[in-house]
Amino acid sequence: MQLNDFFEPYKGDIKEVAIGPEGKAVKIGGEKTLPFHGFEGQVGIPVRFALEVFDAPPEGWPEHLRSAYADVFTDPVAWANKSVKQFGADLISLYLASLDSDQADVAKIAENVKKIADQIAVPLIVMGVGDKDKDAKALVEIAKVCTGTNLLLGPLVKENYEEIAKAALEGGHSIIPQSPLDINLCKELNVKLAKFFPKERVVIDPLSAAIGYGIDYSFSIMERVKQVAVIHNDEMMKAPMVANIGKDCWKTKEAKEDKTQGILWEALTAFTLILAGANLVIMRHPESMKLVKKLIS
Amino acid sequence: MILIGENIQILSKVVSNALKERDEKPLQELAIKQAKAGADYIDLNVGPARKDPDIMKWLAGVIQEAVNKPLSLDTTNPVAMEAGLSVCKIPPLINSASGKQESKDKMLPLAVKYNCDVVLSVLIDAGIPTDSSSRAEAIMETVAYANEIGIPNERIWVDPIMMPISVDQPQVVELFEFMKILQDVCPGAKSTLGLSNLSNGAPEHLRGILNRICLVMLDRYNCFSAIVDSFDEELVKLAKGQLPEIRDLVYRAMDEEIDPSSLPKKEADIVKTVNVLMGRSLYSHSWLET
Repeated sequence: MQLNDFFEPYKGDIKEVAIGPEGKAVKIGGEKTLPFHGFEGQVGIPVRFALEVFDAPPEGWPEHLRSAYADVFTDPVAWANKSVKQFGADLISLYLASLDSDQADVAKIAENVKKIADQIAVPLIVMGVGDKDKDAKALVEIAKVCTGTNLLLGPLVKENYEEIAKAALEGGHSIIPQSPLDINLCKELNVKLAKFFPKERVVIDPLSAAIGYGIDYSFSIMERVKQVAVIHNDEMMKAPMVANIGKDCWKTKEAKEDKTQGILWEALTAFTLILAGANLVIMRHPESMKLVKKLIS
Repeated sequence: MILIGENIQILSKVVSNALKERDEKPLQELAIKQAKAGADYIDLNVGPARKDPDIMKWLAGVIQEAVNKPLSLDTTNPVAMEAGLSVCKIPPLINSASGKQESKDKMLPLAVKYNCDVVLSVLIDAGIPTDSSSRAEAIMETVAYANEIGIPNERIWVDPIMMPISVDQPQVVELFEFMKILQDVCPGAKSTLGLSNLSNGAPEHLRGILNRICLVMLDRYNCFSAIVDSFDEELVKLAKGQLPEIRDLVYRAMDEEIDPSSLPKKEADIVKTVNVLMGRSLYSHSWLET
């Protein structure tokens, strides 16, 4: 009997998705095994990390988070460059904070996104505010204005996925469909997208929650998504997954009240969801990112 | 398979209005139509009937005037249940009792007093069991209690509790597993379940195929009866052993994995539905499109 006899032969693999234009593209996914099961199959590309940048100065951040970026708060390009050069982010995730305002000018926002995308050395993720109408309007415009830069645009939800995905398709971008902590609805959205959108440009967001605030739900759904793809070879579930955890972690009172606690809160939330199968993690505090990178390396 | 027609139920607007107005006509018509369509029992679901427990007495009375079928008295309220039982001419089915203490105390004894069959669900005080072995554990205890107070297994219709596949697909698989072992757990007991609950939440036009394919599968696992939509003609035919070509394909798809892409649409749909019901492929509302 050989050692290999005890290993599971897996049928499915996770799609490799490239984010960003040629020359500075970053790939994620590509594994043919469960997370950290390198002994059973090809592990694919290591988990990639994005740090968040806001296109308008964020409010309500605790001082121990704010201080990391205090010198660049009002300049997204400088903020992004600091995150890449000083903190080592693989990608930048731009949160469209300015979209929250009622006077938001979508054309201006899109121009600004283009400027940021062009001036940074890494690929750009662009995240809306979670309002289906505002996000659709902005992301469609951004997809047009930034044609050819292969942004990763999200979140797409069941009410707005069609228009955003069509614009992303025309502009040559990748997308993040998001489902509300429900594996069946996650698949449903993937099935609908697969009818017109290439699977090689989809990163799914099953919705991430922070430790203490429902991470168990996120964990079990992400774990099942990966199992369904890798073990059961479900064509519709083979997209890499993103864990977008910064916002949820830093709104907890635990993260706000103490620096060490906050950093650990975010790092361990990230680590937990990486164990569940996240291929890309979007975080806020550079030290949390550093800690979790160290933990998995 | 014995069919219990579900169409007289409180959530239907026509029914709730007729009950409120004590208007027997639409209710009797519904009963007659169901009997004609092939229902063996007519379910009378009046909800908890807290304010008006006598409604069951009135309803059972007017329905048995219209059809010569046994009734399935469907309420969680023992007072309403007894009101209905007191007027039934043909021995009805008590739908339902459970392993909850209150039900053991107040509902189960009615099956003894009126000498009739009773649906006994796997529900216990701790909630709905979440896998096949905890279902078995729960029902064994409740059945033992029922036996003790004088209800033999043959008069018990075990209800494993069907969950919507769109909410909890693994539960559907567990239910099948439980059906396979039911006769070992409760020899001689009958069984029934609310079939339509399976497709609750699924797209309206696709509910039928889920219900029908599931019924064929349950039948193969010797499920004795089901509470169903009497007006689904194909479902009634399948329950009565007709449409052998569909039945054969379902059995084949259960035994071996058939590649649906090689089949015409209608057959491919059946195979895909078997696959989601067996938990081989992850359910989504568009399971037929993948």
